[in-house]
Amino acid sequence: MTDFAVSLTDIVKEFPGVRALDSASLAVKPGEVHGLVGENGAGKSTVIKVLAGVYQPEAGSITINGQHLNPATPAAVHEAGIRFIHQELHLVPHFTVTESVFMGQELLGGLGIAKREMRKRAEAFLQDNLGFVISGNRLIRDLGPAERKLVQVARALIDGAARVVVFDEPTAPLASEEVDLVMGAIAKLKLQGIAILYVSHYLSEITDICDRVTVFRQGQTVGVFDNITDDSAADLIYAMVGREIADMFPNRTSRPTQKGLSVTNLASGTVFSDVAFEADKGEILGIAGLIGSGREKLIDCLYGLRKKTAGTVALDGEPINASTAAKAVAQGIVLVPRDRRHDGLVLPMSVSENATLATLSRTSKMGLVNAKAAATETEAQIEALDIRPPNPDAITRLLSGGNQQKVVLARWLATDAKIFIFDEPTVGVDVGAKAEIYQLIADLAAKGAVVIVSSSDPVELQGICDRIIVMMRGVIVDELEATATTVDELVAATTGAASIKGTAHAS
Amino acid sequence: MQAEVSQGPKVSDLVGYLPLVIFIAVLGYISLNAPNFLTLQSLELIVIQSLPVVLVCAGLAIVVMAGGDDVVSGGIDLSIPATAVLSAGITAQMLTSGVPLAVCAMVALVACTLVGVLNAVLVTRIGMTPLLTTLAVFVAVVGVNNVITVSRRINVDHDWIVALRAEEIAGVPLGILLVALIVATLFFAAHRTRWGLNMQAAGGSRDAAEISGINVNRFVAQSFVVAAITGFLCGFFLLARGSGSSPGVQDNLMLEMVLATFLGAAFSPRRVVTLWGAVLGALLVAAISIGLKSMGVNVFWTGLIKGSLIVVVVAFSALAQRGR
Amino acid sequence: MDRSNTLRDILLRFGFLIVFAAFFILFAVWNPVFLQGGNLLNIVEGSAILLILALGLTLIVATGGIDLSIGIALDFGAAFAVVAMSTYDLNWFSAACAGVIGGSLVGIFNAILVVGLRISPFLATLSTFFIGSSVQRIFTNGGGPISYRRMPTEFRNIAQGDILGIPTEAVLAAVLVVIYYLLLERSIWGRRIHAMGMQRSAAVVAGIRVNRILIGCFIFAAMTCAVGGLIAAANIRMFTPLSGFSYLLDAIAAVFIGAALHPRGRPNVLGTVAGVLFLGMVANGLNLMGLNFNTKDALQGIILVSALALAVAQRTARSD
Repeated sequence: MTDFAVSLTDIVKEFPGVRALDSASLAVKPGEVHGLVGENGAGKSTVIKVLAGVYQPEAGSITINGQHLNPATPAAVHEAGIRFIHQELHLVPHFTVTESVFMGQELLGGLGIAKREMRKRAEAFLQDNLGFVISGNRLIRDLGPAERKLVQVARALIDGAARVVVFDEPTAPLASEEVDLVMGAIAKLKLQGIAILYVSHYLSEITDICDRVTVFRQGQTVGVFDNITDDSAADLIYAMVGREIADMFPNRTSRPTQKGLSVTNLASGTVFSDVAFEADKGEILGIAGLIGSGREKLIDCLYGLRKKTAGTVALDGEPINASTAAKAVAQGIVLVPRDRRHDGLVLPMSVSENATLATLSRTSKMGLVNAKAAATETEAQIEALDIRPPNPDAITRLLSGGNQQKVVLARWLATDAKIFIFDEPTVGVDVGAKAEIYQLIADLAAKGAVVIVSSSDPVELQGICDRIIVMMRGVIVDELEATATTVDELVAATTGAASIKGTAHAS
Repeated sequence: MQAEVSQGPKVSDLVGYLPLVIFIAVLGYISLNAPNFLTLQSLELIVIQSLPVVLVCAGLAIVVMAGGDDVVSGGIDLSIPATAVLSAGITAQMLTSGVPLAVCAMVALVACTLVGVLNAVLVTRIGMTPLLTTLAVFVAVVGVNNVITVSRRINVDHDWIVALRAEEIAGVPLGILLVALIVATLFFAAHRTRWGLNMQAAGGSRDAAEISGINVNRFVAQSFVVAAITGFLCGFFLLARGSGSSPGVQDNLMLEMVLATFLGAAFSPRRVVTLWGAVLGALLVAAISIGLKSMGVNVFWTGLIKGSLIVVVVAFSALAQRGR
Repeated sequence: MDRSNTLRDILLRFGFLIVFAAFFILFAVWNPVFLQGGNLLNIVEGSAILLILALGLTLIVATGGIDLSIGIALDFGAAFAVVAMSTYDLNWFSAACAGVIGGSLVGIFNAILVVGLRISPFLATLSTFFIGSSVQRIFTNGGGPISYRRMPTEFRNIAQGDILGIPTEAVLAAVLVVIYYLLLERSIWGRRIHAMGMQRSAAVVAGIRVNRILIGCFIFAAMTCAVGGLIAAANIRMFTPLSGFSYLLDAIAAVFIGAALHPRGRPNVLGTVAGVLFLGMVANGLNLMGLNFNTKDALQGIILVSALALAVAQRTARSD
C-alpha cells in the first residue's frame, strides 16, 4: 500500500435515496497521471469531494503516503499535500497574475507584503514548473481560459507542498490549441514526481496523457486499466457504459415526413461557426457534444439568448428572426433550459404561476388574471403530466427535479409551439420521471412538432433520437442515424476517440 | 502600465480611458476660460475644499472592495457622511462645554465605531442588504446628531481645528498633509498587506475567496468599521472647513461621495473601485465644481453637470466592459 | 422543539405585528388623543403623499430595481401643474394632466438610462436625481418656490376638499392603492413583473419582454409620483422645488418593510400600505408625545432601523 501517494478503499457514500458511492476504490502512484472516467452520475465528483474532506463517507478508508487519514477534514487533506484544481475558474477578474497566485497565502516582507518577491516567485513558478511564460502584472480578465487555468494550478502548488494534484475537467472550456498548454504543464508536474488524478470526459485526452485509468459506473469501480494506449478508448467506453440499458425509452413508430426547421451557416462569434442542419416535423434530432463543444451556445443562439453573427434559421421555408427569447416564443420556438432552477422556473413562484407564465393572456379578462381558470388549466396539466404533489399552489422550489421539469414542460405544452428544444432534459431527474419525460418528448414528435434534444448523456441521445449531430470545439463533426449507431460509437464520436484512431494525432 | 502589454493598446483600452479623457478635456476647457483656474492658489483651494469628500470616498472604497461593486447587493456604505457629521457634532458640542479636544475625539471615535459595528451586524448577521442598511442607519445617525447639536450651527475656533485649515508645514497646508498621510495609510493597508489583498479578494469573487480559505463576512464587517473610522476623521475636517458644525452637510456629502467613488472606478485601469480612483474622483469633482464657479457658470447648473457626468462615464465604462 | 426556540419562533414570526401593536398601545396610553377618529384620519391623510410615492417605488422594486428619483417625479408633477396654471392659464384638469405628463418625463429618462444605456438602476436614478434637482434650481433661479395664489378651487380641492367627508387626497391614494393592487397582484403584467424581479433569467426564457416591462414600470411609477406632486402643490398653493427628496427614505423603508411582511418576501402593495401606516403612526404618535422636533426625528430614525432589521430577520427566519 505504501507505494501509493493516495488511495481510497471501499468508499461508501449515501445520500437520501441514493447510494452515490458503493464500495468504490481509487489509488494513485507518485509520478503518474491517473485518469478517472465515468458517465454523468457515476460518482466521480462524489469521490473527489470525499477525498477533499467535504463529504464524510459512511465506510471505507483514505490513506495518504501510507498515513491513514481519519477523519479526512479539508484542512487535514490540505496539510497532507493534496491539491484540487476545480473545474470552475474561481479567480478574481481584476486581480493580477501575481495576486491571484498568492491569494490567501501572501508573502510578507519587511513592510507589508513582499510584492516584488511574490511577482518573481509567481513568474518563476509558472515558467519552471508549468512551462508558461507570463508577466505577473497581467490582469486575469485579459487572459484566455487556458492561461487562467494555469494560474489556478500555480495557486494550488506555489507553496511547494503538493504531492497529489486532482484536476477536475481542466480542459472543458478550452479550445483545442489551448489544451496543449495545460497538457504540457501536467507533463512537467509528473516529471517532478507529483501524483496526478485527472478527471475528464475527453477520452482522447485520457488516452493521451494518462498512465493508468480507473473507471466508475454507478458508484462502483468497474475497472482499473494499466498500459493505456490510444487503442484503450474502446475498452474504457465499454466499461463506462455497461450493458444494462433497460427499455426506458418509448417505442416510436412515427417517422419524419415534412420539412420543418432548417439552419444554414449559423455562427456566433468564435464560439461556433458554419453550423448547418435540418430537423423535420415529427423528428427528434439529437445534439451531442462535450462541455465547451459549442453545443450549449448553439441552443442559446437558436433561442435568441445569444447573438448570432451569421447564418439563417428558417421554419417551413420562412426565415425566422429569433433575436430575443420573446421573439422565439412568439414564432413558435420554445426551450426547456438545462439549468431549470435558474432559467427554467421562477423558483419562489407556485406551480400554477410558473405553468401559466407564457399563456396568461389566454385566460385573463382585461389584463386581470382569472385565477380560477388558470388553476383549472393547471390542474388539468398536473393530471396529464402527473406532477407531484398535485397542488397548483405548491412552490416550485420544493419540487423534485423531475416534477420541476414537468412544470417547465407544462408551460410550453400550453402554447402552440412548433419547435421544442430540450437542453439536458433529464439532468437531476430520477429514473422513473426520466422515462415519463422521454414519453412526453416522443408524444410531442408524434404530434408533428420539431423536437431537438441536446444532451451530454449518450445513452439518452441514442435512445430517444432519430438522428444525432455531433459538435466538437465549435463545429459539427459528425451526423449519425441513431438506429445505426451504438452508444459506444456515439461516445467515441463525441469524445474525439474516433478521430484519434484514424489519424496520427499531434503530441 | 501600458508598457506591460506586449501587443500594444487595444481599442477597448482606449475606450476605457475615455472617461478620464472627457474629464480632463472639461478641466482643460475650464482653464482656458477661467485664467485663474490653473494657479497654485486655486489648485490648493480645490484640494482643501475636497478633503472631507476625499476621506469619506476612501472609506467607501474600502467597503466596496470588501463587498463587491454591485451597488444594490454588494458593498456600499451610505452612512459614512452621517458618521462624519456625528463626529463633528459630538466634538463641537463637547468643545463648547469646555471639554478638552482629546476627550471629545475619544467619545466621537467610540460613537462612530459603534455606527460601523451596527452596520456590520445588520449586514453580516441579520442579512440586510448594505444599501438598505446604511441608508436607514444614515437617517438614524443624522437624527441622533440633530438631538446632540439641537440642529443648530456650532462655531468651533479651537486652535487645532483651525490649524487643520490654516497651518502650513514647509508651504503645504497641514490638512492636506494629514489627509495624504491617512490616505497613504489606507492605501498601504488595502494594497500592500495580506489583510488588504484578502479583503479585495472577498469583494472580487466571493467563491474564489472562500475556496482560498478567506472568511468573506469577516472582511465585510471589518470594512464597515474602517469606513466608520474614516467618517470619524472626516468630522474634524468638516469642522475645519466650515469653522464649526452646521446641520445638513451630510446630504450633499453623501451624493458627492457616491459620485466621486463610482466615477473613480471608471478612471481606474482595472475598472473597479479603488482607493486612488476614489481619491482622484473626489479631487476631479471638486475641481470641476470650483472650476465652473470660477468660470462664472451658475451654481444651479453643477448638479446637472455632475449627473450627466455619471451617465456619460458609467455608460462609457459599460461600453468598454462590453468591448472586451 | 424546546421552549426558548418556540419563543424565538413566535417573536420572529409575528415580531413586526407585535411591534406595531406595542407602539399603537404605547401611543394610545400616552395620549388618548391618539385614538380619536379625527387623529387616526390625520394619520391617513398625512400619509397620502408618502403612500403614493411608496406605491410607485413598490413597482420598481418589484422589477428587481430601485428608484432614487421618485422625489424628482413628485417635484416635476407639482412644477408642471403650477406653471400650467400660472403661466399658461390652463384649467385645473389640463394642469393636472400636464403635471402627470411632466412627471412621466422623469420615468422616460430613467428608462433610457436603465434600458437603453444599461446603467444600473441605482446609479441611473441617482444621476436622474442630480440632473432633476439641478433643472429645478435653474428653472426657479436657485430654488425659490413658485406660488400661485389664484389657484382654481377645483385644483386646491385635490388636497383640501373632501369626497363624502373623506379628504380627497386620501381618496386619491386609496384609488391608486386599488389600481396598484390590481396591477401588481392580480394582473398578467403584475405576474410578469414579479417573475422578472425574482428571477430575471427565467422570465427571459419564458418569453417575457423584460425591457418593455421595465420601461413601462419606470414611466408608470413616475406618473404616480407626479400625482403626489399635484397634492403637494394643491396643499400649499405653490411649487416648492426639491421637496420630493424628503419622502425618499421613508418610501424605501415602507416598501422593504412591506416586502419583509409578505410570506414569500415579495414587494407588495398591501405590505407597502402597512409600512406607510406604521411610519405615519410612529410620526404622529411621537408628535403627540410632545417631544421636541429633534428628539422625535432621532427616535423615528432609530425605530426605522429597528423595524427594518426586525422585518428582514423575520423573513429570513421564515424562509428556513
